[in-house]
Amino acid sequence: MTHTLHRVGTEESLSEDYVVLIMPSKDINHEGSGSKMRRFFEMALEAGAIKIGDARLGNEYHQGGVEKVIENVEDRAVVHAVFKQKDSLIKLLTALKEADLGLSVVVSGLFDQVGQCCRNVGLEKHTINQSLGRWGRTDKLPTQEILQLNTMCGHGMVTVGLIEEVIADVKAGRCTPEEGAERLFHPCMCGIFNPFRAARLLRETAAATTA
Amino acid sequence: MRIDSDDCSGCGQCIPYCPVGAISMDDDVSEIDFDECTECGNCLRLADCPVDAIWQQELVWPRTIRSIFSDPLTIAEESGISGRGTEEMKTNDVTGRFQFGFVGVAIEFGRPILGARFYDIEKVARAVSVLGVEYEKKNPTTSLMSDPGTGKFKSDVLPEKVLSAILEFKLDLKKLPELFAILKKVSKKIETVFSLDIATRVNPDGSIPTAPFIEAAGLWVAHNGKTNVALGRPRYLED
Repeated sequence: MTHTLHRVGTEESLSEDYVVLIMPSKDINHEGSGSKMRRFFEMALEAGAIKIGDARLGNEYHQGGVEKVIENVEDRAVVHAVFKQKDSLIKLLTALKEADLGLSVVVSGLFDQVGQCCRNVGLEKHTINQSLGRWGRTDKLPTQEILQLNTMCGHGMVTVGLIEEVIADVKAGRCTPEEGAERLFHPCMCGIFNPFRAARLLRETAAATTA
Repeated sequence: MRIDSDDCSGCGQCIPYCPVGAISMDDDVSEIDFDECTECGNCLRLADCPVDAIWQQELVWPRTIRSIFSDPLTIAEESGISGRGTEEMKTNDVTGRFQFGFVGVAIEFGRPILGARFYDIEKVARAVSVLGVEYEKKNPTTSLMSDPGTGKFKSDVLPEKVLSAILEFKLDLKKLPELFAILKKVSKKIETVFSLDIATRVNPDGSIPTAPFIEAAGLWVAHNGKTNVALGRPRYLED
């Protein structure tokens, strides 16, 4: 499950996109982990998370609200929080270090920026996961603009068709980039799609194709 | 997934929700190409069909695997977690799954966008098997192999289409050049894409053990990725 790994984008765009994941390991520390993950959600929201989600039970729209996402978390869950800025990420990592919940924490984002955050907080970079890109019939893939939006849901639920429809709506003035970005968030069941970054990308793509 | 053509009003609202473009308009009603559909559930969950014409038919083997590998909310029996992979490096601080001198490799078929059929996955699995890898037992893809030693899959799953499936294994770091050479060759023989990822411990001085191998092979590597920040307890202690 590497659903946050292959986010496509420029350094500038990805500097507004960090996902923090927390999870227990089966048979090692999963018992009683549900309450720890609920605590994680509270800490993430206090630190400025723009979205939270649960890979097991679905995002806030699927579950019926942010409160439900927090309330329903189970012991074997994998939960996330999305951030648009490094300062918030540092705030959360500081709080997590202090709380010492004992569950594994993984940060997805620009390696150098995440590394800086770890140094600031005094955390170790234990293991990393690197993306070596796309192989095979890459000629069948859509444009970079579409890929940047699509890959923010690693499960591929934010479809090319929906992205194209939303871009057309933004371009035609039928919705704002922010409304379009929120619509694109809906299918991302894990709740890791970043609507703040998406709104900026939609605005840029719509402007480029109008010009 | 099915759409009842008698009930469908032809609004086309469901069409953009299909990740593999399997829904189209035919005779003014929406129709699902059943062979292309990966049973991800996206259209049923999100298209908000005004006449409730979309319905989930009973899934029977081998079509059941489409849902396991395509619907993010389906729990895989092998891993016990949702999605197609395992805990991989995410819990490496407590499991010690990937230790110094080894890399975790994940070949993610069908990602992004295209989806994949198991005959393409088998081509790569068989090619990689010459390295003597042991495919991760907890990964649901491995459970579909008839011979994990050779990367051969059960014949009835080969035509099945899924949104993504992951070949996952651990490899001696020194074998990375051989792996890259194999993947460069076999990637030309498949009809879809795969995303490649490698997981590694970070050296105590902060350097990345895989960096020289990636550079020597002339491969592109992303400036973003995942970092496990060692907050899990009890901490796995390497010898």
